[in-house]
Amino acid sequence: MRQALILAALALLPGIGQAIYFRDKVSWQSPIPASEMVTVAQARTWDGNAIWVDARPDAEFERDHVPDAVPLNEDRWNELLPQFLVTWSPEKRVVVYCSSQSCNASREVARRLRGEAQLKDVFVLQGGWEEWLKSRK
Amino acid sequence: MAQIEKVKFVWRIVDLVLAGIFIYAGAIKAFDPIRFASDIDNYKILQWTIATGLAFYLPWLEILCGVALIVRRLYLGGLSILTALISIFIIATIAAKVRGLDITCGCFGHASQNWSFPAHLAVDLAILAALLALYFKAASGNRLENAV
Repeated sequence: MRQALILAALALLPGIGQAIYFRDKVSWQSPIPASEMVTVAQARTWDGNAIWVDARPDAEFERDHVPDAVPLNEDRWNELLPQFLVTWSPEKRVVVYCSSQSCNASREVARRLRGEAQLKDVFVLQGGWEEWLKSRK
Repeated sequence: MAQIEKVKFVWRIVDLVLAGIFIYAGAIKAFDPIRFASDIDNYKILQWTIATGLAFYLPWLEILCGVALIVRRLYLGGLSILTALISIFIIATIAAKVRGLDITCGCFGHASQNWSFPAHLAVDLAILAALLALYFKAASGNRLENAV
């Protein structure tokens, strides 16, 4: 027990150090900063100035999706990213959605678009596909 | 005598393999703690703030425990922590599966991203079995030493 406590305490040191190093890169309040979220109503006002990105698995995209949405999921990232980039242009905002409020895929895809593809104006749709469906009714 | 040495050698290999697994798994997560926080959050058990704190802490704990297995300092402590961690992880994974959550643990980075649930579980159970075997062997060894 004493040994375990020593190890647990030792691990705090690099952990705290790293948390300090990453203090500006991570939000402790929410997985997605409010500035990177968008509601369905807001996103609709962007109209032709937005590209909708569907981060759900292929089968769900094929079943139904936001009109003109582009599929881009992590399962086929390398294959789908070039197809997405063809539709992208710098003046357009990117709205990424997955199935619901609790899904994680849109957050990851948005993060990769910002990090790997170096895109700005990438937003995660609040409530995802479920919220979009509600707004359509 | 040669037989005893051979058995000792095999146990040492198990030590090193487990240490390697946890150091590798810890290092991958330590390189991308934000991604790991997101993976923890995926289980929908903890609040985001706690998930973030754990994402900074757990990788280093895994690495240190792995190192403890290699250098055989704080050895039993390292084994206890790793056994507890893998047990909690197995329970959380099963609970997530039962709740129908689509989870990516990210334990071994992209290498494990496409593993099926049974494959994940089999690897985790094998690691747990090896850790328990090492723990009981070491604990019984200590008892013998103390008795002598």
